[in-house]
Amino acid sequence: MDFGFTPEQEALRREVRAFIKEHVTPAVLAEMEGHNEGLIGVTRGTSRGPAVRELFDKIQARGWLGISYPKEYGGQGGDRITQYVVEEEFARANVNVATAGSSAPAILAAGTEEQKRYYIPRLLAGEFSFAQGFTEPRGGADLASLQCRAVREGDEYVINGQKMFTSGAHYCTHLYLMVRTDPKAPKHKGISVLLVPLATPGITVRPLWTMQNNPAAPTRTTYGQSRTNEVFFDDVRVPATALLGEENKGWTIGAIGLNLDRVGAARYLISVHRDEDIVNWIKENRFDGYTPADDPAIRDKVAELWIEAQVCRLMTMRSMSIVEHGGHFTYEGSAEKVWSPEHGVRTAETISQMLGPYGQLLNGSLRAIEKGIFAHQVMGAFQSGINHGSVQVMRDQVARRGLGLPRGRKA
Amino acid sequence: MDVLLDADERMLRDAARAFLEAECPPATARKMESDPLGYPPDLWRKVAGLGWQGMALPERHGGLDLPLVQLGIILEEAGRAIAPLPLHSTIVAALTIAKDGADAQREAVLPGVARGDTVLTWAFTEQDPRFLPETVKMRAKADGGDFVIEGVKLFVDNFAAADRCLVACRTAPAPTGNAGLSLFLVDAKSPGISHTPLVTLAKDRQSEVVFRNVRVPRANLVGELHQGWPVIERMLDRATALLCAQMLGAARKDAEMAIEYSKYREAFGQPIGAFQSIQHICADMIIWVDGGCLLTYEALWKMDQGLPASVEVSQAKAFCNDKCAAVARYSQTIHGGIGFMMELDLQLWFRRISAWTMRLGATFEHRARIARALLDHPGRVVLGRPVPVVAED
Repeated sequence: MDFGFTPEQEALRREVRAFIKEHVTPAVLAEMEGHNEGLIGVTRGTSRGPAVRELFDKIQARGWLGISYPKEYGGQGGDRITQYVVEEEFARANVNVATAGSSAPAILAAGTEEQKRYYIPRLLAGEFSFAQGFTEPRGGADLASLQCRAVREGDEYVINGQKMFTSGAHYCTHLYLMVRTDPKAPKHKGISVLLVPLATPGITVRPLWTMQNNPAAPTRTTYGQSRTNEVFFDDVRVPATALLGEENKGWTIGAIGLNLDRVGAARYLISVHRDEDIVNWIKENRFDGYTPADDPAIRDKVAELWIEAQVCRLMTMRSMSIVEHGGHFTYEGSAEKVWSPEHGVRTAETISQMLGPYGQLLNGSLRAIEKGIFAHQVMGAFQSGINHGSVQVMRDQVARRGLGLPRGRKA
Repeated sequence: MDVLLDADERMLRDAARAFLEAECPPATARKMESDPLGYPPDLWRKVAGLGWQGMALPERHGGLDLPLVQLGIILEEAGRAIAPLPLHSTIVAALTIAKDGADAQREAVLPGVARGDTVLTWAFTEQDPRFLPETVKMRAKADGGDFVIEGVKLFVDNFAAADRCLVACRTAPAPTGNAGLSLFLVDAKSPGISHTPLVTLAKDRQSEVVFRNVRVPRANLVGELHQGWPVIERMLDRATALLCAQMLGAARKDAEMAIEYSKYREAFGQPIGAFQSIQHICADMIIWVDGGCLLTYEALWKMDQGLPASVEVSQAKAFCNDKCAAVARYSQTIHGGIGFMMELDLQLWFRRISAWTMRLGATFEHRARIARALLDHPGRVVLGRPVPVVAED
């Protein structure tokens, strides 16, 4: 066991921090304000102006995008832990350099040579971005029941159906789309993954508005975005080469990406940012004659949250260790996806009780604390416990895959 | 950064587990609850043959010089088997002698520990159960070449079996800051010492020890006179982290027993483990034990690196207190009525885990220590970096 970073990684961390101090300028910050799209922070693809795009050019020039990816696909051939160090520092500054997300590892694992050479360098550079076409109106938790249909016709697939909660579909370039290719097979065995450009004719993207970010939350808060989407497919034709991996093996391929979505710097920080924020806030603030930092009940709760946050950090380190060894999660990714989001919710609720009525005040309000970050978190925190597999589905996975407990009888 | 067990660590764990499964069945723990000595001497010598007592002691005193992380693995396995051995108290005292004792003290004590000839313990707590320097009232007065100790210690582990005991005493009356404490290595059979066993939840061996006019030569002072607190604090931190490892080993086994039971116990026409209500608490049990292990081994690793680890130790103990108690409770719940039967071994684990949550710092005390580090020092805290905050370059 080794709980430390190497001297090289520590030096790189300092270098990234110095870079951020110099290059995440007021102009960059102004472009970021009010945009909480994707996981934590802005990317080249989601930038609203030239300053962020210029920032990403500089980051790329330093060789800090796709550190752990093979050189032949535009990466740096480095290790996953080093990449994590860079991702965490940037995520703390609201810059998302983990642009390849979960689609690039899936393409790397299951794609053809042509797909790898085409997609991965562009994903790493932030030129391409994938929205995830998984959930449908009839099923979220029961993902394998999906019905969006793709029929092979000659050299093409023809897609018809609908997806829900397709976050980022209004600014991403592509869809990582799970479709049913064999309706007669058992539900897990008739699914395929298609890589679909969003500009393909027949695709309609419509907004779905959520309770988050209204009014616009300050940067660094809440999990996601106020807008997600529903996506309709009407005779959408893509070439057969859009298929990722084998036909009808999409359940396993999809799981590669989903597992990686549940772990990492962004996932970790979104669960623990407010722990740091509340400690730092009560160290420096008081309400007239009342000093929360001297209140024994608050001191106890703050320490409890801090311990839980450390477990979030260490579970992230465990996931990174497993990925670095080239292993696959048995249950560890799912375990982290139970612990960390639920911790984030406990933090949000505990802080609400520490701040009392001030905990309600949103960004822009008179007397709002820290631009309302704690109030916005109340709306944002539990999203993380729902998306990419709810904490209940995650517990099923820990129990069945990790502990070998049997499946219940079908109701 | 690689928080997974490496090949050596896995081998150590597997070997320790296989040994204890063969040599220390639950029946041994059960039997020792009413045994006058409280542990089987032949098992004690066998584990010395495996190098457990001397694992983290210096090679030149008969030890193996291995890191605390590996010792943690051994204590985790000992906890898993609820092995009735005076391992924890012996190791904690021996490590303090190894790290802070004089060379003559080391040579006098440590080889015997490594051989399995010696049992050690340590005594800190008096009436006030908190682990703070001001709770120590026991006086040690200089008298010629000796010190004379007078007072009462509580909750001393394995005192009846111990050959020697490290005793925290007050040598300077008015405490200025943390000064005024000294640590002595005391022969447990010294004239003037008497002890009374306490009747405990775990039916383990703890005593109230009375010192009346007990003479200890000055050469038995461990560390410097009046400057004992930092030595004692390090001892308590090591003791706490190692107790966490022991508790987690027991809790993981306890959870596994419930998981296995739920696979074959049928109700409503199927194994109860097929019900999500059971599956989800099983998942939580493993998530908690895993979390406790990560916190505990990080604390032990930091100590191995010579880094400050007090906050990490308190994180681990506060978390383990809460979560291991919950694991033991859920395991009982899953077993239902049968879990309450004395005949079933499960209760052996429940009572020990519950007892260990109350030793070496209750949850509130450890959280208070963390709160002091977080809130009572200047600077912005960041997860993954030291608290109290140290200046960044």
